[in-house]
Amino acid sequence: MASKLIPRIRPFGDNGILIGYDVKGYSETACRTVHALADILRGQDNIWTNVIPAYDSLMVTFNPMVTEADTALRNVEEAYEKISKRLPRTKANVVEVPVYYGGENGPDMQNICKSSKLSEDQVIKRHSKITYRVCLMGFIPGFAFLSETDKKLHHPRHETPRGLVPPGSIGIANWQTGIYGLESPGGWQIIGRTPLSVFDPKREKPFALKAGDMIRFVPQGAPS
Amino acid sequence: MSDPVLRILKGGTQTTLQDAGRPGHRHLGIPKSGAADRLSFALSNYLVGNPWDAPALECTLGGLHIRFLKKSRIAISGADMKAQINGMNVGMNRCVPVEPGDILTFSFGRVGCRAYIAVEGGLKGESFMGSVSTYIPAGFGGLEGRAYRAGDEISSAELETTGPQSLPFGYAPRLSRHIVLRARSVTEWDWLSPAAQRYMYTSPFHATADTDRMGARLRGDKIDLVEKKDMVSSPILPGTLQIPPNGQPILALIDGHCTGGYPRALQVITADLWLLGQIAPSSPVSFRRCFPEDAPVILRGRNAFYEGLMPGFRF
Repeated sequence: MASKLIPRIRPFGDNGILIGYDVKGYSETACRTVHALADILRGQDNIWTNVIPAYDSLMVTFNPMVTEADTALRNVEEAYEKISKRLPRTKANVVEVPVYYGGENGPDMQNICKSSKLSEDQVIKRHSKITYRVCLMGFIPGFAFLSETDKKLHHPRHETPRGLVPPGSIGIANWQTGIYGLESPGGWQIIGRTPLSVFDPKREKPFALKAGDMIRFVPQGAPS
Repeated sequence: MSDPVLRILKGGTQTTLQDAGRPGHRHLGIPKSGAADRLSFALSNYLVGNPWDAPALECTLGGLHIRFLKKSRIAISGADMKAQINGMNVGMNRCVPVEPGDILTFSFGRVGCRAYIAVEGGLKGESFMGSVSTYIPAGFGGLEGRAYRAGDEISSAELETTGPQSLPFGYAPRLSRHIVLRARSVTEWDWLSPAAQRYMYTSPFHATADTDRMGARLRGDKIDLVEKKDMVSSPILPGTLQIPPNGQPILALIDGHCTGGYPRALQVITADLWLLGQIAPSSPVSFRRCFPEDAPVILRGRNAFYEGLMPGFRF
């Protein structure tokens, strides 16, 4: 590991524990560690009622009627000890996500072109070149928060969020990129849209993605 | 397909079907949902002899009108909205028989925010991930994932019942307009200025009109942050109090987002989470410090008290 990052492990309320790193921007090490830790803790389903990995933190909740807060804390610390020595290599499945970039599907493409001084083709090339990690799902069902996008493409959110962003929209917010699973209000810079249905409650498997997956964007021609 | 037990004549401010929720899916962005005031919801079910977690109606603020289509029994708990059947007052927290054609109407309450209407046998809704709780932002549960409106009909879930019950003295929570929540300070507490840390636990806030099942925006003394770092999206829970840059806190409720991007100052203790469901627009809301060793004791005591009445009930 390049740098030694030590997380803080602290109680959160009376039924949660938060494992958090103090990092600036995106840290691949922090993200990989919290996801590896989440994998271990998910195996202890007699203790944890929720295991929620995020970018640089992990929240676990327990039932305080069954598990004492101290026991819960110790369990997390032990799990961390285990992976801190050597981060397990995980084989994540890579999901290919087709994207129609720009135009109607990406109304904010020009903002990104302007701030990065790149042509639309170059933006598409840079955005789709990276294999991203799904770092966290939420804030609404099916929203996939992905790892850092190309440095040149970083762009702040809209100051006033859009009223409605269509489902499948792909956006950029600062260094983050992500996919809207549902139609919802949103402040991200929308550069494209995928026809892939990321979340459909009527489907047997409602979610096309889960935290820990790797995804690659595949640019498509203009929609017919 | 059984015949419906009731028809909605007027949906009121917002009436949805709720049960105990779908816990354990926050990593997918799916909040727990379920009855916002779990205690009042469970008591209404107890009174008609249902399992405590049977699907029941949650009426927000009031204005709901219902016509019964079948003979049944109902009970109303939670906020008192001056319910009447055919123009006659109906008491809270008691099991009441209803006949086909009876019309139940709710006015608007002055204390609390949500009333629960349990119907003998429970009510039927669309199940998603093991729960029929209506979650409006994503449109699942209940009826098409939306609030009920005039003309909607609801069938009985035909659950086994134990017959009408009465509530022993002392079990009905006495709601007050002023919501007092015991809480613990959490991860980003240190980002608050010392003054803000002091009045967080002393001065009351008021819930604004921007208050629903997802969250309550509070207004009060400005909570200043001394640390002004950018937060990356991080997990939050129902009962997490976040401080956005304008210093006016946001309290996450039962349908709240699973992640948030603002510093997290407080977490309401589990035993008080049911009270979040009774925060109405303009309710005064205060926080009281709960010491770490007290929270599990309070929870155990509260659970034991109500479990005697309702087996399996947990706050």
